[in-house]
Amino acid sequence: MVATFKRSWRIYGGMAAVVPKLFMAYSIWVWMELFVSIIAVVIFVAFWRAVYASTTTLGGLTLDQTLNYILLAQIFSDAANVSSVIYDFGAGLREGQIIHALLRPLDYQIALYVQNVVQLVINMILRIPLALFIWIVYGLTLPADPVIWGAFACSLLLGHAVLFCFDWILGCTAFYSTEIWGMSVVRYAVAMFFSGALIPLDMMPDWLRVIATILPFSQVVYLPVSLLSGITPVSDMPRIWLIQIGFLIVLFFLSRFIFRRAVRVITVQGG
Amino acid sequence: MTALPRYGSLYWLFVKNRIKILLEYRVNFLIGATSTIFMQAAGLLAVWVVMNQIPNLDGWSLPEILLIFGLITLAKSINHMFADNLWTLGRDYVRTGTFDRFLVRPVNPLFHLLADRFCHDGIGNFLVGLALVLVAAPQLGIVWDVPAIAYLALMVISGGFIFIALNLITSVSGFWLMDSVPVTRVIFEMHEFAKYPLTIYPRAIGALLTLLIPYGFASFYPASYLLGRNVAPALAWGAPLVAVFLLSIAMGVWRFGLKHYSSTGT
Repeated sequence: MVATFKRSWRIYGGMAAVVPKLFMAYSIWVWMELFVSIIAVVIFVAFWRAVYASTTTLGGLTLDQTLNYILLAQIFSDAANVSSVIYDFGAGLREGQIIHALLRPLDYQIALYVQNVVQLVINMILRIPLALFIWIVYGLTLPADPVIWGAFACSLLLGHAVLFCFDWILGCTAFYSTEIWGMSVVRYAVAMFFSGALIPLDMMPDWLRVIATILPFSQVVYLPVSLLSGITPVSDMPRIWLIQIGFLIVLFFLSRFIFRRAVRVITVQGG
Repeated sequence: MTALPRYGSLYWLFVKNRIKILLEYRVNFLIGATSTIFMQAAGLLAVWVVMNQIPNLDGWSLPEILLIFGLITLAKSINHMFADNLWTLGRDYVRTGTFDRFLVRPVNPLFHLLADRFCHDGIGNFLVGLALVLVAAPQLGIVWDVPAIAYLALMVISGGFIFIALNLITSVSGFWLMDSVPVTRVIFEMHEFAKYPLTIYPRAIGALLTLLIPYGFASFYPASYLLGRNVAPALAWGAPLVAVFLLSIAMGVWRFGLKHYSSTGT
């Protein structure tokens, strides 16, 4: 038992440790991303201030609530896009590395998941300069209660896992189409709106809010960020976790089932 | 002057070849040409949802904002279709050493770089920009007579050249950095401001977008003029002059970069 755990730890821990190393090679890109994010933040703030010049509340939210939500969403919305699954499948099929991944005596899904969690943590750490900029220039109202922070972290991780399974299923279509680029563009655009990164779900008309609730993207941005920004009260936590765990269970089994089917038709392009 | 027809037919040759390559993978071609539509749709949907619930944004109605948004998108699409290869100068040409190829051919190297890849992804941006302008105009009482169309075309093309000039200036850093994308992206991203009325921003940003990184000339000022709003003639008609001025600076920077180019030897 202990030996198995040690072995798993060594293997999956090793897989996870590769990600930060890869990242350090691109520091100039990190600065660029920071600058680009700051431009987006400045535009968002100006836009919302102009919006609230002609109204006091929108979707039941005041200017301060909306700004607090939008700024926090800017810091955390990357969580909807950290998953590299679709890309890994696409590139893996095109260049053939997926064969090595599948031949290794380990669970490919767990291996990619641990890497994606580390990637999430790194992305969040890299957001610290942006968070500082926002905090100093615009100010943030953050909860003092550590319970809310804990609830936020759990909700973010759960949402991330849900989206990981969702992307896993999307990635499986690469086994049939051998082409993922178009799908990933559409997925990215849909995620941008329906995650709640641009506007909180509270402001959407009913039909859009229903779509946003059914799609998994809001689980990793709107649900956690609305908790942290105070739009959703802590008393709603159990309900939110139940929804997220429900999504996770369904998508997890579905993703494993679909992968087992899809892997049979694997066609590696010239690997 | 005899160079013009020669370069014209040469460019057509490059584009024909590029399209032949693209049509080898028809699905990819279609997805590429429409991909930007999806990305723009997400942002526009958010603006639409919010604007439906308020009377105006700092005195600007939804169709007016769509016009501004459409103009900057049209200008951007010109750069995207015809000059997208500037982004890859450092990464794909200088670092790999393939830039040497341009220098030994009897063609202007900048022309060769631009003609090397017509970017069909820009078509989607063009369609989005055109659709926005066409949807917004009737609601704003803009009549498409000859002067209005000529003005619009002049402003969009000038705006396109403002994009190209700024991207050219920043991409020259690729001769030294081997990858100019981060530098170019930082300046390029400023155009995001010009999707909305410049009046919603702090004054310094309006000044920046007018004087230093003049994307305002590609969207906000021409839109204000078309809408009959109070805008100084120098701002309403400034885009062509700004474009020519920026292009001459860009050509100087390009020649400077070219003179200091040393092959990587790979």
